[in-house]
Amino acid sequence: MIFTEAKRYYVERRAVDRMLGTRSDSFEHYFGRLRADVQGEIEQFVNAFTVNETYFYREEHQLVCLTSDLLAARLTVKPRGEPIRIWSVPCSTGEEPYSIAIWLLENWPHVDEYDIEIVGSDIDTDAVALARVGVYGKRALMRLPARLVDKYFEADDGASWRILDDLRQSVRFTAVNLVDRANTRLHGKFDVIFCRNVLIYFDDLARRTAAENLFENLSPGGFICLGHTESMSRVSPLFDVARFADAIVYQRPMR
Amino acid sequence: MPLIRKPPSAAAPQTAAPALDARAVLEALARGNDDERWAAARAAADFPAAVPALGDALAHEKSPTVRQALFSALARIATPQSVETILPFLRSDDALIRTEASDALLAMRDVAWPFVPVLLRDPDASVRTQACVLVRDMPSPVAVSLCCDLLDSEPDPNVCAAAVEALAEIGEASALPALMRCADRFRATPFLEFSIRIAIDRVRSQVLNPRA
Repeated sequence: MIFTEAKRYYVERRAVDRMLGTRSDSFEHYFGRLRADVQGEIEQFVNAFTVNETYFYREEHQLVCLTSDLLAARLTVKPRGEPIRIWSVPCSTGEEPYSIAIWLLENWPHVDEYDIEIVGSDIDTDAVALARVGVYGKRALMRLPARLVDKYFEADDGASWRILDDLRQSVRFTAVNLVDRANTRLHGKFDVIFCRNVLIYFDDLARRTAAENLFENLSPGGFICLGHTESMSRVSPLFDVARFADAIVYQRPMR
Repeated sequence: MPLIRKPPSAAAPQTAAPALDARAVLEALARGNDDERWAAARAAADFPAAVPALGDALAHEKSPTVRQALFSALARIATPQSVETILPFLRSDDALIRTEASDALLAMRDVAWPFVPVLLRDPDASVRTQACVLVRDMPSPVAVSLCCDLLDSEPDPNVCAAAVEALAEIGEASALPALMRCADRFRATPFLEFSIRIAIDRVRSQVLNPRA
């Protein structure tokens, strides 16, 4: 992750939060604790810096593209019987992978004919824990039609809704560091990866490494969807641009 | 409703391969197929001693995918030796390879930066042009003065144009006199005069409205 001078306040505020959280009376004291990774402080520190602002059905046009074009393209080259694997990384608190699951159930007529494995992963282990719980407030559900909220959630109280168990069990959550190759490889190969709004936080080298890791995590011919302000062409020449009616995505060449 | 009809562990194909040791990396770089060379190039980033082998591999590599991994490995090793291994590829006849080399240097900017002033004086105009792009993309307190010095002495208008483009991005008020002198020197080269006019306007507007 790279933070410019303009982000000084953002960094300071989070460092101070962690100093308070660990009852460190000086930065030197806290820095020593961080370097020695006392009680997993590195993970806590990383968690403090991640941005977990998202909502259901964000960038819906990519979901439309998934069911209109991407899955059909994958099925033409996948051996029959192999599961379709979709990776949402980073998945934050789970809104994106659950959105993919709901979208498929609602919009893909072949949903019952294939095993579909959806994996949500994030470096922020607190976010992953919340994703597993699957409880959301009104703001996260603002784009989801009320009909779908009624169908896939149960009201916890007046202010939060819990994903139904069946749907919750359709998504597997893991912790992952996108620039750690050994870590990403463990997740296997995917047909479609949603990797939105994370590469912009990396420096050049980390972006290259992450792009190469994602390349390895895609089956030949598999697709990767980035955030609407991102361009893989500026990060790495490894992928082809694939233009569809609803979205521009990137594709690992077949060979 | 469940999307999975059998346990995920049975459905998930595994890709984790055993880690390569240094000898296996060198062997695969030299004699592997495309997939093996790609894997070896990625693994080579953990072996700084592999820099010469990465350079040899780059010189012969035909696959753009593997080449990308070779450049990345050198960038991750990030030593002066890896910079020196990449520099000859700035002279490649293939524009794609020149760009890949330049991108790899940008990915290890702290180690690559000391080489940039030398590249700005290279006898080859296309290398000097690439160096101007590096100056633009590697923020440094001396970047503006390096471009200004080049503008005062550079005979090739295309190299000057690259430096002008860099100054349009990173320039400050101190760059304006050098830009004007360059415009005077190349009055007979309309495209350069035009570029300089745009750059001067841009620098002036940045001076008046500095970005946060």
